[in-house]
Amino acid sequence: MSDLPPPEGVGPDGLDEAPDMTAAELALGVLDGEERAVALRRVLADPDFAREVERWRGHLAPWFDQWPAIKAPDILARIERSLDQAPAAPVASLIAKPRPRSAIWPGVAALSSIAAAALLIVLVTRPLAPLSPPQPAPSVAPLAPTLVASITPEGKGTPVTAVYDKTAGTIRLTEASLTSADHSAELWVIPADGTPHSLGVLRTRGATALTLRPENRQRIAAGAVLAVTVEPVGGSPTGLPTGPVVAKGILSRV
Amino acid sequence: MTDHPLDAPAPSGTTSPEAAARARLVDALVRTGEEDRAAFRDLYALTSAKLFGVCYRICGERQAAEDVLHDVYLTIWRRAGAYDPLRASPITWLATIARNRAIDWQRAQKIRRATPIEDAPPVIDTAPLASETMLQDEASDLLYGCLQGLEARQRDAIRTAFFDGVTYAELAERQSIPLGTMKSWVRRGLAKLKECLEG
Repeated sequence: MSDLPPPEGVGPDGLDEAPDMTAAELALGVLDGEERAVALRRVLADPDFAREVERWRGHLAPWFDQWPAIKAPDILARIERSLDQAPAAPVASLIAKPRPRSAIWPGVAALSSIAAAALLIVLVTRPLAPLSPPQPAPSVAPLAPTLVASITPEGKGTPVTAVYDKTAGTIRLTEASLTSADHSAELWVIPADGTPHSLGVLRTRGATALTLRPENRQRIAAGAVLAVTVEPVGGSPTGLPTGPVVAKGILSRV
Repeated sequence: MTDHPLDAPAPSGTTSPEAAARARLVDALVRTGEEDRAAFRDLYALTSAKLFGVCYRICGERQAAEDVLHDVYLTIWRRAGAYDPLRASPITWLATIARNRAIDWQRAQKIRRATPIEDAPPVIDTAPLASETMLQDEASDLLYGCLQGLEARQRDAIRTAFFDGVTYAELAERQSIPLGTMKSWVRRGLAKLKECLEG
């Protein structure tokens, strides 16, 4: 058997004899660009594939033992300053307030994005002073563009409505019951490049509000996908989805 | 429940320094997950050299590695509550975060590093982190044993990809071989590795 692979034109379509090793390639980190994006989407779509990627991370982990340590700069003070300035960490910033009207959510959310647009009025106007005089003229505080998504469960279940408030940089979600108590439902934004970025972990009960970090705010745009995966309690330890996608939806402008 | 076994007194006489170091690290990480700042500082003291080593090697420059390290510890603070001592060793969990963050940074640069880093700062410690040596022995032996079964060029490419965080394109460029050839080497190497590890 010749060891020499075909000299060129060996594409990802399996022209050569090498089997599909995408999970290992993703764990190893050799994929780039479109191939990486495709593989990351597959992590979201295919639980078996996601487990395979995790298995490979475990296989390669002993190599971390060999990684040389290098005297680190003392940046602990800088890190602590950042922690003090940004209490908006995803898990810590679940500022959702129990909403007395939450009983309206399940029915309305099912009406998808048109209903979401209507809900938006409730959500957006809620913090405003109720007695603002009607001013159709250019407002002193124009509403920033707002995006909504109806995040639909893969199986049965009520869609979760997500509303992004650009001014505040927060995303609000209606009550979701997507996981059991021994897991967390983690929300991801997947922009055009296909790479998921964690936005935080959903509350197990009631609505969730997440304050997004600046880099994630830039990723919230019409057409971007919001997906929810099942993760260990507290969220994915790797920074990438490790569990199956249980719901997803596309952001659109209202 | 924060009732982890580390709080239990270790059986006297059998506690190796490695086990004690590991216990201290797990404890610091678990308490960081409970938003304990003192534990977080302890964790930084115990792990920053290792994680900076990961960041530096992949980022290839000191300032970037420092910025990534900053982000890594913010991520650790936020995610530590999800750490499960029964599922992963602490250093694997921490180093995975560091490696992924550093790779994210490197990919965002869009600049290929065609050569390995030559100006790496002096290594202060090549020994495995003490905490790892005991419990990871079996997994390590398996990985290293299976790697011996690969062709040298397959093994080198996979190893370089892991430690330098580089893509197929960069691997091919470094070896001056066509991209398809590099992919084929690595895929076959990984397939053989899988057979050995899981077979």
